[in-house]
Amino acid sequence: MKNTQAERDALERMRPGHITAQGFLGDDHRSLPDIVEADSELFAQLGMDFDQVCDQLEHLRDAGQKGLGDPITIDGRWLVTTGDARGMLPCPWNDGLFHKNSILVQDQQSGRQLIFSDLSVHLLRAHHFCQGKGHAFRMEPELLKAVLY
Amino acid sequence: MNSFLTGPLVTAGLAAFLALIISVLDRIVNNYGEVTMDINAGKRNYKVRGGSPLLGTLAAEGIFVPSACGGRGSCGACKVKVLSDVGPHLPTETPYLTPDELKQNVRLSCQIKLKKDIEIELPEELFSVKKFKSKVASIKNVTHDIKEVLFKLENPDSIEFLAGQYVQIVVPPYGNFKESVQRAYSMSSRPGDNGQVELLVRLVPGGIATTWVHQFLKEGDSVELVGPFGDFHVRETPATMVCVAGGSGMAPFKSMLYHMHEEGAHPDKDIWYFFGARSGRDMFYLDELRALEKKMPRFHFVAALSEPSPEDNWTGDTGLITDVLERYIKEKIDASKGLEGYLCGSPGMINACTTVMTRNNIALEKIYYDKFA
Repeated sequence: MKNTQAERDALERMRPGHITAQGFLGDDHRSLPDIVEADSELFAQLGMDFDQVCDQLEHLRDAGQKGLGDPITIDGRWLVTTGDARGMLPCPWNDGLFHKNSILVQDQQSGRQLIFSDLSVHLLRAHHFCQGKGHAFRMEPELLKAVLY
Repeated sequence: MNSFLTGPLVTAGLAAFLALIISVLDRIVNNYGEVTMDINAGKRNYKVRGGSPLLGTLAAEGIFVPSACGGRGSCGACKVKVLSDVGPHLPTETPYLTPDELKQNVRLSCQIKLKKDIEIELPEELFSVKKFKSKVASIKNVTHDIKEVLFKLENPDSIEFLAGQYVQIVVPPYGNFKESVQRAYSMSSRPGDNGQVELLVRLVPGGIATTWVHQFLKEGDSVELVGPFGDFHVRETPATMVCVAGGSGMAPFKSMLYHMHEEGAHPDKDIWYFFGARSGRDMFYLDELRALEKKMPRFHFVAALSEPSPEDNWTGDTGLITDVLERYIKEKIDASKGLEGYLCGSPGMINACTTVMTRNNIALEKIYYDKFA
């Protein structure tokens, strides 16, 4: 699928060294629309809704912040650790600026864990973009299903 | 010559020729000659070669504006107020600037190039910021995910700072990361120990700098530090300090407390320090701070675990540190000299503690913090 100009600009800003040192694409060589379309299909197959997933991620982040950086058990199931760095990160689509943070969610039920940031949640909610395969902050749909549901 | 070599050689020759032309054109087109940097209305003047970003040009003159991303325009830290015309704001700058900053022509110094004479305003304290060459003297694990790293300063060999300020570590390219970045950490060492800088670095999953410190940095390594920065420090009032931290937010308070004890600084101030951790494995410096409490009667240390494990045999306070803080403010802390809040941590932690403090009559303007934002 071809990229629009906005997608080409966003894609350029997703490369390593533009917004973050590691970029947003990992080792994924698919086009941006292809990544978004494939992940959207996976979301649908898994019965997940982007907004609901984002609401749950934000709930875990907000509750996790009460641990002041230490792990804290949320709803008797998730061990959440929030980490913060100085500085902000813009969305590659230039539609927002986000605090530089990372939230580690360890699901004690499935034994699996995921890492995300405020920017990850925005990318998911606003752009349905899970980030490229192989990237540390990729929100793998199957992992989201296992950890959050 | 073999004919199969002709193609690659011609291609290589053409590429070299084009590179030469680009290089020559770049020297001609981007040659802005000598330009003047006027800082703070004539207080400092520099004649510099034009064409480079303001951030790097200032650094070359020994003026270090805070920057975490190494000049890639991704941290928004290197803001400078520009008084002369340097053209309109760039799309790479605007996401980081508030409407008020846009109106005042605040710019990201890494994004604007010096093409002609420029007038700028800088906070005076930036002129005492230096770049230090140091060697890692020791690395200790204080918890399972926090390291205490001691840097011995070599050139310059001492640093002047206020307890509570921070430095930036220059993280060199490593592993898959091809570019240098800088990250800020509060100093946990005392200002009196000015030949060294101690930092507490917590491992952040996916963090470029913390991964480097935890997995790559070794004792004896050379590291560059830039600082001091920040205006988080003990205020000269008799009001009682109410300090709150968790994890590596311990750093500025360690510096302040030992400075106050060893130098007898701020003798009128009582200090309450609330430190929260999840369980025993996340708690550190407990014995040191209990010992300090005995030596300094005006210092009260309240450590609390939110989820103590049975093997912790914890007899201290339990619960979220914000709840413990509220209980102590209501029941135990004498507010007759007034209260000041001191916080170090994430925006979420700062907001949670600020809510508790203001609800308990600590004025918002008396709450000081080192917000990681």
